[in-house]
Amino acid sequence: MSTTSTTSAPTEAASAGAASAGAAAPAGPPADAGHVVGDGTTARSRAAARWRRARFPLLVVAGLVLLGVLLSLPEPRTSPVPLAPDNVEENGARAVAEVLGDQGVDVTYARTTARAVAAAGPGTTLLVTSDVLLTDAQVDAVGGTGADLVLVTPGFSLPLLTDALETAYGISGAPTPREAACADPDAVAAGTVSAAGGVRATAASSDAVVCFPDADGAGAYATVTRPDGTRLTVLSDPSLLTNDAVLDEGNAALALRALGRQASLVWYVPSFDDLGVDPTGDDGVGGSPAELLPPAAGPLALQALLVVVVAALWRARRTGRLVTEPLPVVVRAAETVRGRGRLYRRGRSYGRAAAALRAGCAARCGARLGLPRAAPAPAVIDAVARATGRDRGVVEALLYGPPPRGDAALTRLATDLDHLESEVNHP
Amino acid sequence: MVVTGRAVALAGVGALAVLVLPATVTVLAWALVVVLACGLDVALAASPRRVAVRRDVPGSVRLTQAATCTLTVTNVGPRRLRGLVRDAWQPSAGAQPDRHRLDLPPGDGARLRTPLLPTRRGDRRADLVTVRTLGPLGLAGRQASLDVPARLRVLPEFASRRHLPSRLARLRELDGRSAVQVRGAGTEFDSLREYVPGDDVRSVDWRATARRADVVVRTWRPERDRRVLLVLDTSRTSAGRVGDAPRLDASIEAALLLSALAARAGDRVELVAFDRRVRTRVVGASGPRLLPAMADALAGVEPALVETDWPGAVAQVRERLSRRALVVLLSALEPSAVEQGLLGVVGPLAQRHQVVLASVQDPEAETLRQGRADVSEVFDAAAAERAGLERAAVAVRLRQRGVEVVDALPDDLAPALADTYLRLKAAGRL
Repeated sequence: MSTTSTTSAPTEAASAGAASAGAAAPAGPPADAGHVVGDGTTARSRAAARWRRARFPLLVVAGLVLLGVLLSLPEPRTSPVPLAPDNVEENGARAVAEVLGDQGVDVTYARTTARAVAAAGPGTTLLVTSDVLLTDAQVDAVGGTGADLVLVTPGFSLPLLTDALETAYGISGAPTPREAACADPDAVAAGTVSAAGGVRATAASSDAVVCFPDADGAGAYATVTRPDGTRLTVLSDPSLLTNDAVLDEGNAALALRALGRQASLVWYVPSFDDLGVDPTGDDGVGGSPAELLPPAAGPLALQALLVVVVAALWRARRTGRLVTEPLPVVVRAAETVRGRGRLYRRGRSYGRAAAALRAGCAARCGARLGLPRAAPAPAVIDAVARATGRDRGVVEALLYGPPPRGDAALTRLATDLDHLESEVNHP
Repeated sequence: MVVTGRAVALAGVGALAVLVLPATVTVLAWALVVVLACGLDVALAASPRRVAVRRDVPGSVRLTQAATCTLTVTNVGPRRLRGLVRDAWQPSAGAQPDRHRLDLPPGDGARLRTPLLPTRRGDRRADLVTVRTLGPLGLAGRQASLDVPARLRVLPEFASRRHLPSRLARLRELDGRSAVQVRGAGTEFDSLREYVPGDDVRSVDWRATARRADVVVRTWRPERDRRVLLVLDTSRTSAGRVGDAPRLDASIEAALLLSALAARAGDRVELVAFDRRVRTRVVGASGPRLLPAMADALAGVEPALVETDWPGAVAQVRERLSRRALVVLLSALEPSAVEQGLLGVVGPLAQRHQVVLASVQDPEAETLRQGRADVSEVFDAAAAERAGLERAAVAVRLRQRGVEVVDALPDDLAPALADTYLRLKAAGRL
């Protein structure tokens, strides 16, 4: 479309352009010489150029996306959370959860108290894997669902839920094989388990059953019926459930029987970001931080992303390319002098530096006193001594003395030479 | 395709819709609205390629003088053209502001003026003209960059021309045209006139006195029609920055002042810029055409990072000059460079011609020489002292070979060289 012409007038040019607008003909030629119309491209050539520019980046991006999809496809969702039913590591509990699922138990995985309480109820088993992250209110909520409770290594929560059992603190952590030694059918079926820790029945207990006692009488498994008729089971050691130890002794039998008593199981693993019990409760505390936000927050964030993308497109497009400046190579002319000064300093060339200072001073004094450039040293010393009234020996030591040693001596020499020169100039 | 701030605002307004209907679908729908509105605007925008553009720039301008680039833009498309035009130039062309708003009905044209204030000597080139057209909504548009070549030649500043009037006055004194008669000025016989008390008796022409009743004296005038050859060294030593400009710029100022002065004095001035080859040459221009030719030739001269080929330069001088002339070497009194190059070949040259070496001194070296604040400054001072002594020694060796050495600070070099020229002319040594 690049055309230059010397023929038609601007108005004709415009009408020609308007006339040819329907057909994709080149625009009308402008008035006189020197006009440039268009950049010599057509829609087809521009599209081709864009495709040539973009195809390699597109190829790379497509390759990365394909790689990501291929890598993520065969991996089922797993998590590294201890005792989680989707954790396949040694400290996970997917083995137990899978077997329970295969046996027809409906396993529900909950990370917040609100979800656990909502899913649990009469006729379900509620497993609480730890009470370290729970508050008193959360423990109360967990205990009040009407579901059978299974607590793993309970701490402060045990006295809140029952007065029949207490944790036996201070027992060493190494798992040891223990016999059932009680009448509970689950324990008898398991026979022997390998576990650490323990619980004891309190003095107030009437019907608590403590099984698998160690030497001190603290059991690895205890069960009691709470006043509201629900059953509370305590497992003193998480290794009764974990993937790595569940096959030891009768651990698997005990775990499966304790958790599989009811048709559905709520598997509650408390989490850090669980702030409370009930999002709709009177205290206004939500189940998780995300639920504290207004419902429009998510879409608004997405909208903000849209604005940012459009703003980026707005600011990223330049009005034409950057223009470069062919800069001349310009170095400070005094760089060589500075470089030589640094060399003197690095080499600690006090002698050379002092010689240069002295020669310069002597040359200027000599010129001032009318001596020829090639005047011998004694003549210079005599003339300077006469002009300044200083002792001849002092002048000689200053102008032709031994080289200074050290920074201080060199600086002093430079200052003394300056004084001498100023005395010669203004006697 | 371009989008504007209005498109961003449109996207932002979507937040209200999201507040009313807080759902992801609302956001997606609004994004679709934004895309469709922008697409419609792009489709309705005038083609930025259906624009006839012409650039008009003055042929040349002196450094520090302002110029104007006129951009004639004509809408040759069928649609109304609204948008922006950028008249892009090199940064050193000083095009500010270089963006112009446009609103042209079909067939209409506009003249856009971009002020230029060049900050560097030489050829400043224009870059592309970018036309950005917006649609009727002002949300988005199209953009194209058109290649409209243009060049602005920036001549040397010639700041030293302020020294010209005083030097011309001294030239007139030499010439005898002024009221003041300076004795002994010049060596060419001019005319005979009657003796006036006070004239030097040595200038009495006894033969003419014998023919007439009066005592007649000869008058002299300075030589005319001598040749002056300026050799501008553009090698690495000319690239060193002294003050804020390279040495070369000070040399160019001195060359311009000297050629202006010599042209007025009736001498023929030629110039060669040389490092390892001839960079530019001014030959055969005289009178009022000399200075423009000189400025034009020197505008594009840049330092090259090579060592000067002094034998080659001397061969150039030999080729140009047959009889005795004034050869001015505008170079640097750099001890190593002079010792390895110039000293070897300048002897024979100085025997045939009057040779002047004009060198730019560095004021920073003098500042360094006086530094006493701490020991590193004293070491620098010692280095500067040593460099100064070496320069002086080289100058002495050059003088021994018959070369006049002018070593001055950048601002003083041009007048100092002019003074040297006047002194040589007065002494009849051209």
